[in-house]
Amino acid sequence: METVSQSIPLENFIVLSSIVFSIGVYGVLARRNAVMILMSVELMLNAVSINMVAFAVYTAPSLFVGIIFAIFVITIAAAEVGLALAIVLRVFKNRGTANVDEIDTLKW
Amino acid sequence: MDDAWVLPALPIAGFVILLLFSPWLPRKGDWLAIGLMGVAFLLVLVIGRDVQNAIGDGNFHGVERSWEWSNIPGAIEIRMGTFVDQITLVMLFCVTLVATLMMIYSTSYMHGDRRYGWFFAIVSLFVASMLTLVLADNLLLLYFAWELVGLCSMLLIGYYNDKQSAGEAAKKAFITTRIGDVGLLIGIIILFTQTGTFNIQHILEMAEAGDINSKWLAGAAICMFAGACGKSAQFPLHVWLPDAMEGPTPVSALIHAATMVVAGVYLVARMLPLFEQVDGMMELITIIGLITTLGAAFIGLAQRDIKRVVAYSTLNSLGLMMVALGSGAVGAAMLYLFVHSFFKASLFLASGSVIHATEQQEVDKLGGLWGKMPITAPVFVIGAAAMAGVIPLSGFWAKDEILAGLYHGPINQAALVLVLMSLPITALYMTRVVLLTFFGEPKDHHVFEHAHESPPLMTGPIAILSVLTVIGGFVIFEGVGEALGFHSGWLGFVYNLAEGPEEFHVVWWLSIFSVVSVTASILAGYWIWGGAAEPSKRAGAFSPFFYRMFLNRFYIDELYQLIIDKIVLAAGQMVAWFDRAVVNDSGVNGTGEVTDFAAKLAKYHQTGKLPNYALGVVIGVVVITIVAFGYRT
Repeated sequence: METVSQSIPLENFIVLSSIVFSIGVYGVLARRNAVMILMSVELMLNAVSINMVAFAVYTAPSLFVGIIFAIFVITIAAAEVGLALAIVLRVFKNRGTANVDEIDTLKW
Repeated sequence: MDDAWVLPALPIAGFVILLLFSPWLPRKGDWLAIGLMGVAFLLVLVIGRDVQNAIGDGNFHGVERSWEWSNIPGAIEIRMGTFVDQITLVMLFCVTLVATLMMIYSTSYMHGDRRYGWFFAIVSLFVASMLTLVLADNLLLLYFAWELVGLCSMLLIGYYNDKQSAGEAAKKAFITTRIGDVGLLIGIIILFTQTGTFNIQHILEMAEAGDINSKWLAGAAICMFAGACGKSAQFPLHVWLPDAMEGPTPVSALIHAATMVVAGVYLVARMLPLFEQVDGMMELITIIGLITTLGAAFIGLAQRDIKRVVAYSTLNSLGLMMVALGSGAVGAAMLYLFVHSFFKASLFLASGSVIHATEQQEVDKLGGLWGKMPITAPVFVIGAAAMAGVIPLSGFWAKDEILAGLYHGPINQAALVLVLMSLPITALYMTRVVLLTFFGEPKDHHVFEHAHESPPLMTGPIAILSVLTVIGGFVIFEGVGEALGFHSGWLGFVYNLAEGPEEFHVVWWLSIFSVVSVTASILAGYWIWGGAAEPSKRAGAFSPFFYRMFLNRFYIDELYQLIIDKIVLAAGQMVAWFDRAVVNDSGVNGTGEVTDFAAKLAKYHQTGKLPNYALGVVIGVVVITIVAFGYRT
């Protein structure tokens, strides 16, 4: 049976994860809505997860280190999103906006 | 003689006991202090006999005994000990004798004083320090004792601590002598670095052998002489001595006659072989001595306070001793010191008796006391006559010997002429103070009515001193010396060890000139002040300008005050300005202001906007990545 590692070259995965990561970075920098920024952060995390799983399968298939890390990242990302959304909710309740440009009291 | 350390130990024991237990002792323990001092005096006599026996054995160069004090193996060993030779012996005799008599006198003079026990304790310490100073076989111990003497003199001059002037006089004495003390310390350090020892005899041997670099030797000699100038109140550090009479009069007697001012003379006499190795040093000593003796004689002419006149006569005498040492006449200088301690102590104690009886020190308020004070008055007159150099009192023989020493010495004969000039001036002002105090009509009848002779405890000691004043000078004769158990007269006993004994000889024309000039001067003094109630400033009519100069002590105190105000305080203000403007305003506040300014500039990067921070993070990651790749490839 042909495995993934034989049919698709590693470069494709790396290019995919790079594209997803860049979209995430762009989203973090360009979006003004805090929820959208959080979603972009999730994209960056997923890009990293793709990267790790791909490298794990292609370089050391007998070890599951990369895959386990990916599962860790997914778990922690779930917790982090829960926490971050809670914060955004509180901020929105407080200030009536989720626009990060207007949330700038922490300056000189 | 080996156990000479007992001498200072006795009064130190007295000091400790009196300091701790004086309030609980009968009579506050004065008997204890006096007793210990008397025992010390008797022990000095025993030591004198031993020294005499040792000299009889032939080549006697002093007896030394020392103990290890500090030892760093292979590097340095410092020993402390005693050294007894003829000069030491003379000093020991003067110090213990005058101190004993002065303390007996004080039991009456200081009677009922609120710090009676403290007085005797400090006097004991004072004498102990002086005994240590003259017994020390090394410069380090000498320096300790030297400073202790300074401390005790300050405590005693400022004894009446509720008097503003006494406190200031004490400070003045301490600070002025301290200037010289620093010189002495520097000199000792130089000698130690050059010779590796503090031992006086070793240093002198090395100096005479030429083992010390001549430049360092000259520096050390000048520094040590500065110390001697401070302690012995030589010009230009003489200003403290006349003010030192702010203390109780017995203390003045002690300071002037035995324990304080002769320390400098002793130091110069002791280190004279070293000074002789330095070119021009003996001339310097002579010149300083001449300035002091002549200046003091002139100032003495115009002073109105009986104690002040006597104080300037001490300066006069000290200058004379320095002149004698400058010409190498150690025997003559020590003889003068010996007899000076008698007549100066008797002068001071007698003037103390006058003050005690009249509570007046101004000669313009005294007068006619001769009949009222049948013991004090003759004692004072004899002391004054000895000071003036009237034949055959002790002062005459000592002065005669100094004149002969100058005449035969290596020093320029101009010094001899100047000393001869000072003799009649000395006689004139001593005549003046005697006439104004004890003769003529009383100038203040109220004071005169209350005058009375002092109690026997005061007149007794001064009578003993007076007898010694009369006969003390005769030790110059070889026959008298032999009668006292010595092998020859004074000059065969005390001499410059490097040069051997001096011969006693009279230079007839010098003696005759001195007798004639002193006699003429006394007659002149009688002509000026011999009237019924002449004011003290009668001689001022001859030359008001010089009178003002003398009365104001040549304005030297004012000059020093001016220097302190204009230079020292101005320099102090400069330093204060530097501290405020540079150190505080620029250094301390400046640092704070620079930090504050930098913080104000740097705060603007904190925008509070989330995208800015995120951009910063991204740029940072990119830069770090590029740099890391740059390193790898």
